[in-house]
Amino acid sequence: MKWRHLAALAVMVNGLFPALWILATSLKTEAELTRTPITWLPHAPTLANYVHAFHDQPLARFVFNSVAVALASTALTLFVATLAAYALARLAIGFRDLALSAIIAASTFPLVTLLVPLFETMRALDLLNSYAALVLPYTVLSLPVCTLVLVSFFESIPPDLENAAMVDGCTRLGALWKILVPLAAPGMFTAGILAFVNAWDEFLLALSFNAAPALRTLPVGITLYQGEFTFPWPVISAALVVGITPVAILIVLFQQRVLSGLTAGGVKG
Amino acid sequence: MARSWRDPSEATLARVLLAPAFLLLGLIVVYPVGRLLWTSLYELSLTSGLPRRFIGLENYLSLLDDPVFADALVNTLLIVVITVPGAMLAGLGLALVANLPFRVKWPVRLSLLLPWALPLAFAGTISAWFFQSEYGVVNDVLSLVRTQRIIWVNSPNLAFGAVCATIIWKASSFVGLILLAGLQTIPGELYEAAQMDGASRLRQFWSVTLPLLRPSIAVAVIFRTITALQTFDIPATMTRGGPGSATTTLAMMIHQTTVDFLDLGYGSALAVVLFLISMAFSAIYLRQVRAA
Repeated sequence: MKWRHLAALAVMVNGLFPALWILATSLKTEAELTRTPITWLPHAPTLANYVHAFHDQPLARFVFNSVAVALASTALTLFVATLAAYALARLAIGFRDLALSAIIAASTFPLVTLLVPLFETMRALDLLNSYAALVLPYTVLSLPVCTLVLVSFFESIPPDLENAAMVDGCTRLGALWKILVPLAAPGMFTAGILAFVNAWDEFLLALSFNAAPALRTLPVGITLYQGEFTFPWPVISAALVVGITPVAILIVLFQQRVLSGLTAGGVKG
Repeated sequence: MARSWRDPSEATLARVLLAPAFLLLGLIVVYPVGRLLWTSLYELSLTSGLPRRFIGLENYLSLLDDPVFADALVNTLLIVVITVPGAMLAGLGLALVANLPFRVKWPVRLSLLLPWALPLAFAGTISAWFFQSEYGVVNDVLSLVRTQRIIWVNSPNLAFGAVCATIIWKASSFVGLILLAGLQTIPGELYEAAQMDGASRLRQFWSVTLPLLRPSIAVAVIFRTITALQTFDIPATMTRGGPGSATTTLAMMIHQTTVDFLDLGYGSALAVVLFLISMAFSAIYLRQVRAA
């Protein structure tokens, strides 16, 4: 084993151990958990904690809420970002630099400061405890980065095919939907994953706007398992495993897409 | 002949296509910020039931006498000062390892991507379990070198240290991914040339890698700084701001004042302070981007 393999091992332990440890905890009984010294692998693996996780709190509901909010804001973000990115990448406009600067500036905007005015507005409009209370802010949260990702993807595609289609009588928007969007599918996908993960991870607004148990998203719902002084760690761990798995699968399947998205959105921005 | 609506001029079409994006940004960013500045000049408490009352800068003056605000401000700035360099160094290490020519790349990459995609609130919860005093894995490993178990959440300094360590762990994956992307753009010929000139590995790192990585480092530093200023999820799930206000951040104070106490005037003043600090860093970033 060379030193670089040791280094890789260290990186893997650092990145994967916490998730694996939660998995191990979720399979242990309460009795095994309160034993010292602690056991590394579960002696008598049990799935009872998963039953509890779904039974003690509406965990399936939390998952559904998270998926619904994340999918809706991802779809909305992609639609709006595609239109904006097309204008910035393909159309000759005088204020292009200004518009790009505004979008880059928006990408550094601190979401926390929106909490007070949006809370006031949502409360006044009776939108607290609704999907809309989260979908709109999440769309805006991801819009700048997704637009920048799409601009860089669109610019990397030669406009010849679109031009040919327009010579054949296709409108500009027709060329966008029928030719550019399919060609830029990898970029759309990348931007979509970034938007999805952003929405999936958000905690502060979800905690503040949708506190009703039936509308809690996963990160907020998981905090419901602990009482004032009680921490049912095996059940919490089981709920965490349920919460981590969907995104973990997404990442395993689409590593390369996510990596290139971070490059285009971050470094280019 | 007038143009049909199906085929508008390029400039008109551009405006129409950009409109939804800027409408959303205006509605959810610009308007609320204006409202925030405005509300910060009022006494507006939803629990009192009284109508809003203009009080000028009084909310800001109250901040100066608020010991929790002082703690929260210091904690927030300390988190920036400690976790930004911490995450940069750790992230650079991760990126350098991930950029090594392994035959199988996915295990190392997954090790960077999984913590990146992990919700911060999950990271805080997992970390609370790691630092749990009786059965936590951190104390278990430490028990190899010391006999006394540490009760992390009872000591202000230890709790703060544990929160910072968790933030660094979580943030280093993001930094690692950004820097890895930067490393991959450095042409290999540069290293070959440096090797021919007899440069040592360390020398190559200083004279080739670091200078060419500068743009990626700048991006990572600024995004990390802005995110660190907004720290909420990890202390909220790990320590709930305690003991006392030892791990309370500005964002946690804004949340509590607004959502729990419904004191929107004071909460707005707090948010304006955070907004101004954050904007100062964004301005530096924008200047960097323009220069590049």
